[in-house]
Amino acid sequence: MSNFFGLLQNENMKIYRRSSAKVMIIILLGLILAAGLIIKYSGDQPKDDPHWKQSLIQENKDLNKQMDSVKGNKQATDYFKKTIAINEYRIDHNLKPHHGETLWTFVEGAAANMVLVISIFTIIVVSTSIASEFDTGTIKLLLIRPIYRTEILLSKYISALLFTVVCLITLFIASWLLGGILFGFGGAGDVYIGYANGAVYQSSWTLEVWKGYLLNCVSLFMMVTFAGLIASAFRNGGLAIGLSIFTLMASSIVVNILQGYDWVKYVLFANTDLTQYTTGTPLRDEMTLGFSLAVLAVYYVLFVLVGWAFYTRRDIKA
Amino acid sequence: MSTNAEASKPAVKLEHVSKRIGRKTIIDDLSFDIYGGEVFGFLGPNGAGKTTTIRMIVGLMRMSHGNIYIQGHSIRGEFKKAIAQVGAIVENPEMYKFLTGYQNLVHYARMIPGISKERIMEVVKLVELQDRIHEKVKRYSLGMRQRLGVAQALLHHPSVLILDEPTNGLDPQGIHDLRTYLHKLSREEGVAVIVSSHLLSEMQLMCDRIGILQKGKLIGVETVDDFIEKGTAKVRIEVDDARIAAQAVKEKLAIDAILPDETTIELPIEHEKIPVVVDTLVLSKIKIYSVATAAKSLEDRFLEVTGGKSVE
Repeated sequence: MSNFFGLLQNENMKIYRRSSAKVMIIILLGLILAAGLIIKYSGDQPKDDPHWKQSLIQENKDLNKQMDSVKGNKQATDYFKKTIAINEYRIDHNLKPHHGETLWTFVEGAAANMVLVISIFTIIVVSTSIASEFDTGTIKLLLIRPIYRTEILLSKYISALLFTVVCLITLFIASWLLGGILFGFGGAGDVYIGYANGAVYQSSWTLEVWKGYLLNCVSLFMMVTFAGLIASAFRNGGLAIGLSIFTLMASSIVVNILQGYDWVKYVLFANTDLTQYTTGTPLRDEMTLGFSLAVLAVYYVLFVLVGWAFYTRRDIKA
Repeated sequence: MSTNAEASKPAVKLEHVSKRIGRKTIIDDLSFDIYGGEVFGFLGPNGAGKTTTIRMIVGLMRMSHGNIYIQGHSIRGEFKKAIAQVGAIVENPEMYKFLTGYQNLVHYARMIPGISKERIMEVVKLVELQDRIHEKVKRYSLGMRQRLGVAQALLHHPSVLILDEPTNGLDPQGIHDLRTYLHKLSREEGVAVIVSSHLLSEMQLMCDRIGILQKGKLIGVETVDDFIEKGTAKVRIEVDDARIAAQAVKEKLAIDAILPDETTIELPIEHEKIPVVVDTLVLSKIKIYSVATAAKSLEDRFLEVTGGKSVE
């Protein structure tokens, strides 16, 4: 593994010297810009409320009333409790709430949607990286070096995941700058107020945004690995890209349809959304974070082993 | 470079190598040695298994049976040690077209420890690409790609050089230069060079020994000179009446003659038999004006050995 760094350099060179990588970054930036402009100019931004404390006190009174009316519904009750707790925290700590879009809410909003776009890009990158060498025949010159095929495949996989990191950093910086330009850099110093386990906590927005990226990247990670498996097994980039993106898109629909069956919890996509354990409600009551992580691990090991076996054991006839 | 001890040890050794795909045997029990300091040519019609054999030597394909050793290291058991000795082009030299020639070489250099920037420029100069090495490979001609392919194969001073169809796309001057360089590598640096080519005349000039492959079997390994001299020669005799002459030879010696025209017969006979034929013709009262043996090319011999199948 002494020259593994060199292999990564090679794979990075092959990713970024292709025009497709540049096009992807440009599309990503374009989408962020479009999202920013639409939010900014599609409606009136609510004005800041100078008497915000009174407003919050009034809001909490209303919420308490509403909560009484939905007694028995745990989900709704939890939601009201959370909102009330956060409002009280703001009043106590003199933290003015923002109405409308701020720099950080824009950054946070961009995360979920753009990670899906980045997933598609990374699927394309990993599939091309693995399969195109078979199409062009360069695989023959690549595999006759004193390097095991396992190391080559690993360098391709890691460099594709590094591409995801590059995209995420680009996304973070671009949405932060655009958020500042469109909604004011004044919001950059805001603190994040969250609610977990019945208590309100303060945190930094940067940390929370990256936590969001990470949670959203679970399905990216699984689908990129799946694309790598298909590309290794069939040596066909188009098939790997098509199948992975289709699966990624169809997953939520399929999970919804199958929601009633208890075995749905073993389906990969029932477990990729880990936010169901942090901010949402689990798909099925018996599912826990530990259970989902275990299911994900099993799928992951399966994908990696099968992809690896195909890549390292099959003859090169291209 | 090569001491006597090294010269007597094969650089590449094939031991009962077989390759089966499904029920079909593609390569059947190949065994032969290739030594440092020689240029070895692989000959055979398409589908004979030349490329499959080369792919097994460089580890791109697994063998079903047997083993291949490169400088004593098994390509199966000690892949890294074995392949580190090899520089190769397998079929066409396919490069990354979206990278420059130089970036391609840097790419391969990173995969082998100890290749300096100076060494990269050295091989670039050697294949005379220095003027266009920083252009994208997209814009290279076939000949330039071939030269870049040779450059990547030579980067790490391999002791075994394998070139599949190396003259493909080269102009006559390029072929001549490559030939000179391959001879230099084998003679002066003791490199074992393995080439395959469909240009038989080219092989004749380039190779010291050739191995003929047909339907996955090795028909023979011989030096180029032996290969051409062995077997039957073609004798051309100018006579007064070719028909009568042919009849005489057939009746008395049971040899079938070819009649290119009215006054010439051609006989596929061994060198020693020429006087017997001449005697027979003289006794049959046939006038002989000239006797000539046609110099045989590798191509004639090849067609003879492989049963007249064309090479390409």
